[in-house]
Amino acid sequence: MEFPPPPPPPSAAPCLIEVSGLTKLYGDFPAVTDLSFSVRAGEVIGLVGPNGAGKTTTLRCLSGIIPPTRGSVQICGHGMGRDPIEAKRCVAFFPDEPRLFDYLTVSQHLTFTARIYNLPHYQETARALLEELEIADKADKLPGELSRGMKQKLAIACGFLHAPRAIFFDEPLTGLDPLGIRRMKDSIVKRAAAGAAILISSHLLHLLEEVCSHVLILKDGLKIIDGTMDEVRQKFSETAAGANLEEIFFRATGENKGP
Amino acid sequence: MGRALLYYEWHSRWNRLRARLQRLRRPKYLFGALVGGLYFYWYVFGALRGRAMPGRPPAMPALEHRAVVQSLAALVLLVVLLLMWIIPHERAALLFTEAEVAFLFPAPVARRTLIHFKLLKSQTAILFSALFMTLIGRWGGGNNWLRILGWWGLLSIINLHLLGSSFARTLLLERGISNWRRRLFVLGGVGLAAAGVFLSVRHSLPPPPDLSGARPDSIVLSALASYAGQIFQSGPLPWLLAPFRWAVAPLFAANARKLCFALGPVLGIIALHYFWVIRSNVAFEEASVELSRKLADRISAMRAGNWQAAGKPRRGKRPPFLLRPEGWPAAAIFWKNLISAGHFFTGRAWLFLVLITVIAGLNLRWHGGESTGGAALAILAVVLGLMSLLYGPAILRYDFRQDLRVADVLKLYPMPGWQVVLGEILAPAAILAAAQWALLLLALLLCPASVGGEPAPMALRIAAALSAALVLPCVDFIALLLPNAAALIFPAWVQLGKNTPRGFETMGQQLILMFGQIIVLTLSLLPAALGGAVAYLAAWWLFGKVMAVAVVSGALAATVLLAAEAALGVFLLGKVFSRFDWSESTPE
Repeated sequence: MEFPPPPPPPSAAPCLIEVSGLTKLYGDFPAVTDLSFSVRAGEVIGLVGPNGAGKTTTLRCLSGIIPPTRGSVQICGHGMGRDPIEAKRCVAFFPDEPRLFDYLTVSQHLTFTARIYNLPHYQETARALLEELEIADKADKLPGELSRGMKQKLAIACGFLHAPRAIFFDEPLTGLDPLGIRRMKDSIVKRAAAGAAILISSHLLHLLEEVCSHVLILKDGLKIIDGTMDEVRQKFSETAAGANLEEIFFRATGENKGP
Repeated sequence: MGRALLYYEWHSRWNRLRARLQRLRRPKYLFGALVGGLYFYWYVFGALRGRAMPGRPPAMPALEHRAVVQSLAALVLLVVLLLMWIIPHERAALLFTEAEVAFLFPAPVARRTLIHFKLLKSQTAILFSALFMTLIGRWGGGNNWLRILGWWGLLSIINLHLLGSSFARTLLLERGISNWRRRLFVLGGVGLAAAGVFLSVRHSLPPPPDLSGARPDSIVLSALASYAGQIFQSGPLPWLLAPFRWAVAPLFAANARKLCFALGPVLGIIALHYFWVIRSNVAFEEASVELSRKLADRISAMRAGNWQAAGKPRRGKRPPFLLRPEGWPAAAIFWKNLISAGHFFTGRAWLFLVLITVIAGLNLRWHGGESTGGAALAILAVVLGLMSLLYGPAILRYDFRQDLRVADVLKLYPMPGWQVVLGEILAPAAILAAAQWALLLLALLLCPASVGGEPAPMALRIAAALSAALVLPCVDFIALLLPNAAALIFPAWVQLGKNTPRGFETMGQQLILMFGQIIVLTLSLLPAALGGAVAYLAAWWLFGKVMAVAVVSGALAATVLLAAEAALGVFLLGKVFSRFDWSESTPE
């Protein structure tokens, strides 16, 4: 089944993620430099770049895990620096490795998350998420008893429980089987259609091409280009008409494609 | 291939050393290395040069007892080696790291080469253990440097026997001899040998001397040692123990010349064991792969501060209380950490503990009156309570020291920093306070009516227990705030994450942190002590010099001050957590 890329949302859609002049230094090393972009409701942005480009650092800054050195991040109208609690209520971040508590069962993870986000009627949502992710029968299992894919599903269930409006994925397809990949893509498209702003970092360019409406290319912490798929394609079509995202990536980053 | 393994081993160690030297450029490691180095120099080289250490046993058993002690050591060695044939049930497995398994097992490396590699690698651990044993047990006399050789020989024999016996057990299993049959055979042999020795001793020796009422203790000890010496020299026992006496003999050599003579038989035993191990043709690869995986999981869990995960696989635990989805989010972290602490920390378990304490205390009091035993138990409860103040915060790590490995998850939560801090510290504080209250209750129930010759009326005892019950949770909380503050402010100095640094510098860092924590705790208790003393004196004069009232008043004032300090600490640490840059603490 082919996923049609989500159509670019109307420009009237609210801007849910707004990044301005984001800079992150590790000591003297600039991981991200003066990065600015915005994501509207319904948009899915593919964040691509070679290793060490600053993708994960960007996502961590946006989700409030690490403080930026300079610049501002607005999530759903709340500044991550000034009003981090309200900003974080809108956020879900999924790192490449699912981060779970070894000693909490699947259902205890959801109970815990519900209390953290104050979700009085979470049971119905939790049940639906567990059913959708096909881990309803694992409710009493510990993460140690789950496969990697199931752990990822549990992390996703916890992340989606509070209906986040700004969703960040860092390599979301790692370790998933083909069915899991298809379901993940389906879920991303569904969330975007429901009005979430989504940022996905991945090296799987053909998969990004399927689900992303926009693309943002980073290299050495600097933004090379961002825009809709068509805009980016046009920018690089002078020399390569109808280029796919892989071609665009190699041309934009100046990386050698190899033999 | 042997050269490749040597290359790997040499460069691994050299690169590790080089990385440690390179990180000394950072002040935190340099200071740690200086303090750790000084401590190591004082402890190790001071001891090796023969400086008396406090609490050490005498350097050498008296000459007349040395043979007996040597025979006893031989007997212990015999038991240790026998246990290797009785207890284990697993197949032979050599412990490799996961990387070694991945590289070496598919490579064209002979099994014998792998065994050689493991034997060579184990020598480092054996040498360190020999040094450690020489330092902590300086019995046997002679030169410390030479005694390291003695320990090296003994530990090498034990190591080789462990390996050889595991190979032999696997061979027996492959030939259809089950673990239980093997155990029965070994225990039968041991039983027969023990019976033979017993009968022989009974036949050839007079009954043991009657020492009832004999004083002083040295005379009793001397008589017992003399009789034990006769036992070790009679019947088949000297022959039975001979190889084991040879193995431990270097530890009892009084000088270098005697040590050299004693080392000869030890080297012979090592050589025999070596040929036994090398000639055993047993498949150990499959079990080794499983063992390596388990060890990697365990080390990973331990280094991440998750000691429970380091144990056997567990099942989900009953939550300590029902967590409602609405309310204070910090309660969720408290709830989560109580689950992490284990099955014991549920309301039901604590209720059971209190019930047992009350029943045991009342029973002892009614049946034993104000006996010495009851008073001793009361003192023990108080001492344990005081010790828990010191060791409790170090042992109960169900807080940031466990959770900083998932700091990125904590940082995602829409909670102010102070709530995360409070939620993190509440669980160990509650556990510690509950344990102390149980001890206080026991002490109160068993406390005699007079303490140290002074009357201690019931009202005063209750007042003292109540005061302690008020003050202790606050002190616990502050004591727990300190290591958590250290974890957030100096994450690289605290045991966190998967890449825990090791070495002198880490030891030094831990010493600096420990002393720092003691100083800060003392300073933070001073205002409360002063406030408490003032309130005590004021109440003493205001309420007609009633001691019980004065004590409770003092405790109340101290509690208020301590609670204020704790609140301030939580607030400040919350600010630190909000600014905590997880990325800077992880690349160590």
